[in-house]
Amino acid sequence: MSNKLSCNPAPKSASSVAFLLLGVCLATMPAFAGQAQAPDWLHALASLPVPTHSEKDDVVLMYSEEHVTVDSVDKMHTTERYAYRILRPDGRVFGLASVNFNKDRKVVRLHGWCIPAQGADFEVKDKDAIEVAPGVSGGELINDVHYKVIHIPAADPGNLIGWESEVEEKPLALQDLWFVQHTHPVRESHYKLTLPANWEYKTTWVNGPEVKPTASGNEYEWTVRDLASVPEEYEMPPWRSVATHMIVSFLPTGEHSAKAFSDWHQMGLWYADLVQDRIQPSPEMQAKVAALTANSLSQLAKMQAIGRYVQTDVRYVAIELGIGGWQPHAASEVFRNHYGDCKDKATLTRAMLHEIGIDSYHVPIFTARGAVTPKVQAHLGVFNHAILAVRLPVGMDDPSLQAVVNDPKLGRILFFDPTNTYVPFGQIPEYLQANYGLFAGPDGGQLIELPRAPASTNGIRRSAILSLDAQGTLKGSFEEVRVGYRAAEQRQLLDTATKQADRTKPVEQVLAHSLTAYELVSLSSINVEDISVPFGYRYGVVAPSYAKYAGDLLLVRPRVIGTRTSGLLEDREPRKQPVVFDGPEQDIDSFDITIPAGFKVDDLPSATDADYPFASYHSKTTVEGNVLKYKRTFEVKELKVEMNQMNDLKKLYRTIANDERSTAVLKRDPAANASVK
Amino acid sequence: MRWLKLSSFLLLGPLVWLSLSTTAFAFEGWLPITPEDLTMKSYAKAPGAAAIVLYRQIDRVDTGNSPHEFHYERIKILTEEGRKYADVEVPFNEFEVALNLSGLRGRTIHPDGKEVEFDGKVFDKTIEKTRDYKIRARTFTLPDVHAGDIIEYQYNLDLNERYFFDSKWILSSELLTRDAKFSLKPSGDYALRWSWPAGLPEGTAPPKSNDLLHVIAMETHNIPALPIEEFMPPLNTLQMRVEFSYSQGALESDPVKFWKNFGKKENSAFEGFISHHGDLQAEASSVVSPSDSQEAKARKLYARVQQIKNLSFERQKTAAEEKRDKEKENKNANDVLKQGSGYARQINWLYIGLARAAGLEATSVLVSGRSQFFIDQRLMNSRQLNDDVVKLKLDGKDVYVDPSDKFAPFGVIGWSATSAPGLALDRDGGTWIRTDNPISSENRIIRTANLKLADEGSLEGTLTVTYVGLSALTVRTEQRDEDDTAHKEFLEDSVKEIVPVGIEVELTNKPDWKTSSPQFVAEYKLKVPGWAASAGRRALVGMGLFSGREKHMFEHADRVNNIYFHYPYRYEDDVTITLPEHWAVTSTPPPSDQDGKAIAYVLKAEAGKGTIHISRTLRMDVIAVDLKNYGILRQFFQIVRTGDEQQAILQPGT
Repeated sequence: MSNKLSCNPAPKSASSVAFLLLGVCLATMPAFAGQAQAPDWLHALASLPVPTHSEKDDVVLMYSEEHVTVDSVDKMHTTERYAYRILRPDGRVFGLASVNFNKDRKVVRLHGWCIPAQGADFEVKDKDAIEVAPGVSGGELINDVHYKVIHIPAADPGNLIGWESEVEEKPLALQDLWFVQHTHPVRESHYKLTLPANWEYKTTWVNGPEVKPTASGNEYEWTVRDLASVPEEYEMPPWRSVATHMIVSFLPTGEHSAKAFSDWHQMGLWYADLVQDRIQPSPEMQAKVAALTANSLSQLAKMQAIGRYVQTDVRYVAIELGIGGWQPHAASEVFRNHYGDCKDKATLTRAMLHEIGIDSYHVPIFTARGAVTPKVQAHLGVFNHAILAVRLPVGMDDPSLQAVVNDPKLGRILFFDPTNTYVPFGQIPEYLQANYGLFAGPDGGQLIELPRAPASTNGIRRSAILSLDAQGTLKGSFEEVRVGYRAAEQRQLLDTATKQADRTKPVEQVLAHSLTAYELVSLSSINVEDISVPFGYRYGVVAPSYAKYAGDLLLVRPRVIGTRTSGLLEDREPRKQPVVFDGPEQDIDSFDITIPAGFKVDDLPSATDADYPFASYHSKTTVEGNVLKYKRTFEVKELKVEMNQMNDLKKLYRTIANDERSTAVLKRDPAANASVK
Repeated sequence: MRWLKLSSFLLLGPLVWLSLSTTAFAFEGWLPITPEDLTMKSYAKAPGAAAIVLYRQIDRVDTGNSPHEFHYERIKILTEEGRKYADVEVPFNEFEVALNLSGLRGRTIHPDGKEVEFDGKVFDKTIEKTRDYKIRARTFTLPDVHAGDIIEYQYNLDLNERYFFDSKWILSSELLTRDAKFSLKPSGDYALRWSWPAGLPEGTAPPKSNDLLHVIAMETHNIPALPIEEFMPPLNTLQMRVEFSYSQGALESDPVKFWKNFGKKENSAFEGFISHHGDLQAEASSVVSPSDSQEAKARKLYARVQQIKNLSFERQKTAAEEKRDKEKENKNANDVLKQGSGYARQINWLYIGLARAAGLEATSVLVSGRSQFFIDQRLMNSRQLNDDVVKLKLDGKDVYVDPSDKFAPFGVIGWSATSAPGLALDRDGGTWIRTDNPISSENRIIRTANLKLADEGSLEGTLTVTYVGLSALTVRTEQRDEDDTAHKEFLEDSVKEIVPVGIEVELTNKPDWKTSSPQFVAEYKLKVPGWAASAGRRALVGMGLFSGREKHMFEHADRVNNIYFHYPYRYEDDVTITLPEHWAVTSTPPPSDQDGKAIAYVLKAEAGKGTIHISRTLRMDVIAVDLKNYGILRQFFQIVRTGDEQQAILQPGT
């Protein structure tokens, strides 16, 4: 279960955690492991055949058993057993068994063994464990999640390793998440649940058929067998949206507990309650609101001023201890320090908006589209970020307010991400579009789909006026306009430059991908600071040998710069997961090349028209007088390409690749040359 | 230019540099800030920088039982990105290095001079804990920080009493440092030597010892930021620092004598290791024949010793595994022979013992590996001799070999040990040598493709990639711990990397991963969709089918570090494309021949009957390129890319 809401996605699987810890542990792990007999349950697995698997699978999970015992609303304990057959050298990382803990979650026992293919067993005990705080990244200053880790010896290909753990905790919420499928195959896996008398449970199976448990009194057991691996692929949906898992809530009967929730409504109430006392203003904050909005002529301008203030003046720094992973710091504290994480920034924005009479609400969300859908049962572990839903006053209908939904119950709601410094008030980042977030209002929670912006509001428009000389040198000027998230990304790139020369690198990179030799003779940026308008570049380029002679012909590629194709699907192995696009997008290139005097066009590439339900691509090269004109448009129409559309996507990428390499042929014009003479 | 300063502070004469007083070891408050610093918007020596360090001070005291350090840092935030420097983490470790952090103070100063004192929490973070030790960090974030502000903080670190053996001042950091002062009050119980292996900032006077105050100090300005770039020399050679080393007894101040003494000591250990001649003699006799030539004997013994398991190549084992393996410590070459295993140096020394037993002249050479160090003998740092090879004298010629490397053919040593200075051991303390400089013709990657062009523009056929010399050794070494599946994936990915468009590729043979054969051959089935570009009635075929690696080399005009390649290499491409029936080649690009002394690019396309044959050679016979020549190098790769982008014109049949 995720214990925090701070923009850092939780590890996808146990192996991810192991990789995270590997560097730390191998260097320092004390190894006092000695010789001892592995337990019977592990030995029973040693002689079993390895199930069918791919040659790329590093391990097979031969057996796992997770037993959750709920004692009360404030106490539960969990025992786990895992046994892996190591298949490949990279599987050695599974020899690092880890269990996370914090002040409310104690590791009672952690014990591991290895049964080598030859020789006696190895054993690792609790006392051999080390405690590790994984390196924090981004703006996370500190959190209190640590890992207890044991290094099981001889986790080599062919060997069987196993470990057991026992954890006691005071749960943040009465629920659990059982990952049934992994990045490796599973032979047999069990989930056992023991509840207090008269308690109930509720489960949802996600991305797989429901498995019914066996029951004995207040004990329930789910079993799965022979599951294939879910390998990770580039540009696939969030792993959680494709791998089978079970969400389970533990529900006391006859006893109310805010921790016990099985639907979004209840979870919203729980979260709203956590946040409620954090939004009280301080006098200094009220004074700041007054100062920020003093010159604003409209309510919208006031909202924008507050939004921008929190985005830019409050640094992203996460300090998450205990429930602080979910509960924001007080708005007054965030205001005083000028730093906080996503939920802190949302809290401060909310408190400041309240001062001008605008109501808003926290919205926990996951930063990748597809992980949370209405089919998913309410669960803390599905979110890793927090934004704000702002209730718009009646009649406020400015065109800049794009990220708006009209909810029958909630009215007109604008979504706003105070953490993303580069996306203006009124818009949301592309990864939040068409994504689901939990609206945590005072009357309960509601899962809401965030709006998707039209493709035309996000993309790159490049145009160029260029001339070619008879030596093949291309000269001219480009204008590049970036709108929506393409503008945000570029502003961020420039902001993170650490020296002046780095500010030219984004343009150099685009040029270098398409021009074999070039000189960037001028470069200016447009609207770097004002995020409410499109960002742009203007640059002058000289590209020697751009056009090349082949005999007496001069070959010119009309698509001068920019790449929209992808080699993603050029693989012998069939794709296993759908492909997702970052967001809706429309890119337009338009290049005019004046051909050298004395030449005329002899041959032009044919037009390209590819139209699929998920994306389209159109390009055309024409001649007007002595100008070669190239125009193309690429548009993302659907954000996900399903498996049955994969061949079409491959065709589309190949079509684009062909167009990007297509060439116009120029030849000397005898008539023109005669007139020149 | 690297400089050397060697001294025992006890031996230095009186010095007059007194600008650093002993009171500098503690501050009661903050240093004054000038109005210019408050309003600074940028710094000319760091254009576009997110922040610069205005002032840094580290005062170290190694006297008494507990060494301690005082740290003072003042940073000017110049951009929004620079605000991240307000998050500070000071790692320390309870039982190893820093015992305690105290006196932490910090503040933010806005451009108008308004101060915001740090009164927030300091978090004590446990990074790692075992039953024996705990690594912790104090972490805090300074409040109300914006672009234009100055932030500063100071603290004291109490260090473990043993820690002074590793005393150093690190000068380089990710930010430019405008002004800095460093001092060390050394322990009086040991002799001390100090050096600055990567140089000092321009105009900086070397650290000076003040005998009256028993302080060594240095003041410096404009320490450049250290950016990370592709093809840069080892970090060790770039990071400016002053290293101190204590030792018992008098220090040798003469580098020649130092290395003689060191060489004698190492030679004694080496000769002792191979001194039990009996078993070695018997083993050598069983391997070579008296009638063998010197080279034949050397090669036979080499093959024998390469069978010894090199424990330096083994994965890191847990103590439990090591205990169970019960691998005895090898006390001499006979032990290595008997156990059939040993560490790299032990195996090389065994080889020398056998070679000598067979009547060959051989000795151990301690080498400074180029992957980490560019040794300066004047620094007298023996840790920089971190590798070793064997020098054989065969028919009057010096030959360097490394039998401990099971993938190294006879006469080939790992790239890091090539063209590297080394100390060839002998009873007189040794002789400095330089190992052979490899040349590109010995380290080739040959790519031979026979492909058919389909009507719709795709290429399909076979590709053979042959790695030769260091190229073969490197690929085997880098992949030595992987299994067959990973090997296949690695090789197929290698082809995907060199073809500049998306391809389908499948390895079809079983390459020889296990031996030290001079060549490593991988064979593939290859399909390149859409390689022929459309041009109306014509089709165009590009020349640079294997140009993917060069496509993005040195694409940025700005460069800070010198350029450094591991070893000279040569790519030789030979591509034959068979055209569809009735297609004809109407034009091929003119040949390109850019043959410089150090680097060369040659491309030639010929039309045959229904075929196009493309030969392409890219040769790099240089290891290090000075920054001032970066433009020339970049221009060369632009010429390569221009050549690779040339096309042959085809006329499809009717």
